[in-house]
This record gives sequence, C-alpha cells and structure tokens, in this order.
Amino acid sequence: MVQRAIEEAGIPTVIIAALPPVVKQTGTPRAVAPLVPMGANAGAPHDIEMQYNIVKSALEQLEILDSPGQVVPLNYEYVAKV
Amino acid sequence: MSDTSYKGLKSEIYVPVTPPPVWAEVKKPLSEMKVAIATAAGVHHKSDTRFNLAGDFTFREIYDSMPSGELMVSHGGYDNSDVNKDINCMFPIDPLKRLAEDGVIGSVSEIHIGFMGGGGNQEKFKNETGPTIAHILKDHNVDAVVLTAG
Repeated sequence: MVQRAIEEAGIPTVIIAALPPVVKQTGTPRAVAPLVPMGANAGAPHDIEMQYNIVKSALEQLEILDSPGQVVPLNYEYVAKV
Repeated sequence: MSDTSYKGLKSEIYVPVTPPPVWAEVKKPLSEMKVAIATAAGVHHKSDTRFNLAGDFTFREIYDSMPSGELMVSHGGYDNSDVNKDINCMFPIDPLKRLAEDGVIGSVSEIHIGFMGGGGNQEKFKNETGPTIAHILKDHNVDAVVLTAG
C-alpha cells in the first residue's frame, strides 16, 4: 500500500518480503524474497554480511527488473530458533 | 464460451483483487541514487511516540543521524524478538550506510520512515499515510526506496 503510493509519486521502490504471496497479491511493483521469517526480512540479527548482501541484492533489482509485479527469490537463508 | 459465461457473474466467495500495476521508471544508476528506507515493522526512535498496537495509520520520521541503537519497535503483529536484538533485521540502516561508503549507492537519505503495517485502516494508508510519506521522500529528493514489509 505504502510502497505503491511512493511508486505512484514517481520514486522507484523495492520491497524485501518474507511473505512473497502477500506482497504479490497486494500489487507490489518490485519485490525480493530471501528465505527469512517475518520480522527478520533483511536477514539474521547481527549477521552483518547477510544483511548487507540482502539489501544490496534488493537494490540491484532496480536496475534489473523491467516490468511490475515480480518477486525475485534471493538465495539467503535464516531460520530463527523459536 | 458464450454458452458457459454470464456477463457480470461474480463468485459468492470473497476473493481479494490485485490492484492494477504501478511503476516508476528508474532514471539513474544505483551508484548515483539517494536511497531511503521505509518499513512497516513499527520502527521509531526510543524518544518518539509508540504506535497503537491495536491499529495505527500514523508514521514516524527517522533521521540518519539517529544511531541504530537508539531505535526501537512497537508493533503487535509479528514476533519482535529478532528485531529487538538488532533493529537492522527490519530497518537495515547500518548495511545501507556501508553500501554508500562502498559506492554501491550514491548516498543515504537524511530521512527514513517507520509505520505499523499488517492491519489498521487500509483506506487511510492508501489515501493519506502513503501519499504523505511519498511527499516527504520526494521533498528530500530521494531517488529510490527500499522497504521491509510482508
């Protein structure tokens, strides 16, 4: 919703999502989906390298994606110990 | 097909409808972009007003001058344990600053946005909160926004 409003204002956006079907259904223009639980979308706590790479890969999609509605899987995985 | 279709026929079961696509053109290379974060994870400064956990369509401004250790979360809709250990899990400001130092992005915006997604007044988010946030980012000449939500 907020992503779409920002995009409508002319600023390109990319969302890092833990729940790909949700962002797809709500009409995301650009999304990436690492293998993470909701609440650690940008990677495991204190895993500086994973967080850096997830944010970098997300932003790089701005230069790669050329049509709306795509959710790009990212090959980073964090399984929270519950 | 005319034998089997009926104009205006609707399912009796409620099904969500995906809205029409939106798309802003990317106009400059990533290495020249000023990037902001917007998160639905309920992030704000510790001195700022907490979100109403029952539903809240307001938002908080977060400044790049605020150390990540001074930020916190108030959000009743997801397990906060990871983000309580490290705010960067949902508000990756430290990685973003490193990406600017490394020249991957042009610069980090001086302003970022925290709001509480996952519920609340969707009409308000769509017609008021969203456009207001977009306006603020536009005023700060932000070229791209990375969000965390969903």
